[in-house]
Amino acid sequence: MTATAPAPAPASASGQVSLRRILPPVVTGQELVLLGVLVVLWVLLGIFTPAFLTPGSIGPLLVQVAPIALIGVGMTFVIITAGIDVSVAATIMVSAVVTARVLVAADVPAVLAVLLAIAIGALLGTVNGVLIAYGRVHPIIITFGTANLFQWLGLRVFDSSTVNGIPGTLDFFGRGAAGSTLGVPHSFAIAVVAVAVAWWFLRYAKAGRNLYAIGGNQNAARLAGIKVQPRLVWVYGITGALAGLAACMIIATGTSSLDQSVGSGKELQVIAAVVIGGTSILGGRGSVVGTMLGALLVQTVVSGVTQLGWPTQLGFLFVGICILIAVGTDLIRERARRRA
Amino acid sequence: MKISRRIAGALALSAAAAVVLAGCTSRNDPGQSAAPGASEGGGTAEDLTIAFVPKLQGIPYFEAMNTGGQQAAEELGFEWLYQGPTTADAAAQADIVRSFIQQGVDVLFVAPNDPNSMAPLLEEAQAAGIHVATTDTDAPDSVREVFVNQASTEGIGEALTDALLEAMGGSGQYAIVSCGETAANLNAWIEVQEAYTASEYPDAEIVDIVYAGEDQAMATQMATDLMSSNPDLTGLVGECTSSAPGVAQAVEDAGRTGEVFTVGLGTPQSMLPYLESGSSSGSILWDVEALGYLTGWAGVQLASDGDLGDTSTIGLEGASGATYDEATGELLLGPPTIFTAENAGDYDY
Repeated sequence: MTATAPAPAPASASGQVSLRRILPPVVTGQELVLLGVLVVLWVLLGIFTPAFLTPGSIGPLLVQVAPIALIGVGMTFVIITAGIDVSVAATIMVSAVVTARVLVAADVPAVLAVLLAIAIGALLGTVNGVLIAYGRVHPIIITFGTANLFQWLGLRVFDSSTVNGIPGTLDFFGRGAAGSTLGVPHSFAIAVVAVAVAWWFLRYAKAGRNLYAIGGNQNAARLAGIKVQPRLVWVYGITGALAGLAACMIIATGTSSLDQSVGSGKELQVIAAVVIGGTSILGGRGSVVGTMLGALLVQTVVSGVTQLGWPTQLGFLFVGICILIAVGTDLIRERARRRA
Repeated sequence: MKISRRIAGALALSAAAAVVLAGCTSRNDPGQSAAPGASEGGGTAEDLTIAFVPKLQGIPYFEAMNTGGQQAAEELGFEWLYQGPTTADAAAQADIVRSFIQQGVDVLFVAPNDPNSMAPLLEEAQAAGIHVATTDTDAPDSVREVFVNQASTEGIGEALTDALLEAMGGSGQYAIVSCGETAANLNAWIEVQEAYTASEYPDAEIVDIVYAGEDQAMATQMATDLMSSNPDLTGLVGECTSSAPGVAQAVEDAGRTGEVFTVGLGTPQSMLPYLESGSSSGSILWDVEALGYLTGWAGVQLASDGDLGDTSTIGLEGASGATYDEATGELLLGPPTIFTAENAGDYDY
């Protein structure tokens, strides 16, 4: 317990000089590569398709990316701590179906619906966090279990029928005209703000830096006086809350009826974005900017394949290649570092 | 401290395992756990059990079929069991089929997610003395005794094409947003649409066919991409119940209602808002409850060695027009129903 002081000391006491020495560069190599690939793809698609680079195409693409990037922020935190959360799809489902039922049943204002969705997500995320932090079982087992549990909860609320006639209360997040201001989709703007805040937090806040320490070596972090367990609960709770907010975006971009397929597969899309963004699946390294770029890259590939008129299945091939390249680069880097 | 942590971990792990194990059977059939000998009699309708395994439980389509089946069970006097996987997964579906074989039901109906992998299971069921049949989706090269077909492949494909091209003015480019890439019935309809469009509407053209899975949001995004990449596109088809409202939503979001027309195979309740706003020009489907009823009726005929061709004994009006083709073993419900803003509200699924 006496060892508490030294760990956070460099960040606060010795000031900017040592901080600059510890921190990675503002933009990492992988982010630059991603940005480059993205720009090249957009230019190529702009040339080879009639309308990829028009507001009518880019706007909806950004709307589609927003929930993935948003949950990706939380998932980046989680993966930096060397954890994983495969229950976010089920969290979306529970949050979305409860919120949709409330919207249909009562004429609640949008703000209330959003708060409700976030609260449900945060609650489920906290359940994950508590089980992981204090149960000390690997997060993939815990969240795989809770994913099924949440799925059961969600299906109970669906009660074997779809939710029909959802009003346009949440159109603020939607794909339509009410969903953007001056051509910028609100949902994407929210995701950008979340990424910016998270970027600052991970880089300059003590609690943020702690996450890297936990992912690097949990025992060392504990010995250094970092309160590992509360941090973990918080990280999974935030991820759940963001999944709840994303559920509002998903309701808004969906049809007027909601069925049990809502959210399905989103956990893998989010993890793909995080991994492609350069966050190490081994923990201890990663950035939310990369996650945003990764999410953009995945959706660009999928939309690009459709707009080029190529067979849909090619989307899976390209996304798969991106993931393998990203993970491969990460492992090679890790090995080089160990050798050094 | 250490022990309690370990216990907590073990508890968490066993809870997780229990949930995983329970995951595929979210709802059990009531009180039908042990009846292995029930299949031997099978003569009278009183102790007859007919099981139906849908592709997916909990979506309005199959729930409506279940409602029809229950109605038939009440009227014709048999026990109707209904259980399906919570995702359209062939393996999870196979587990449920196995459990029904274990229980020894009299008649087993399946709407297979994967007809090829279902075929050997149906053989297994038949070897156990169970009458096997398919409904909604066929397993063509299997031992099934009858396939209860909702509408003929031609009927659906042509009705979809006619409804869309009537809205498009008989010409123009359109695209299809389908769902599962290997779904046999969807692919058969698409084939008819291609041939029928080519022969009847020479000025119309299908420019692309994409596959969104059973994912509404993906269908909407793909429809949006198709509209961007094909500026002259004036028509979209949503080939299944998740993509039908999905493509209409995309047209609405893009503010192009009245320029781009959509049709699809959507359930009436989910299509109603789009039919009313004009972003959908029509939904082609069949009376799903009647299909469920017809399935139950066919089960009774199979179990009692009755005549499937004698459809005059069908008590439900929506199913009384059914016809049986002995050569193909298909019991056909009738021509498809076209839902519009006027009649979609009359159905509660």
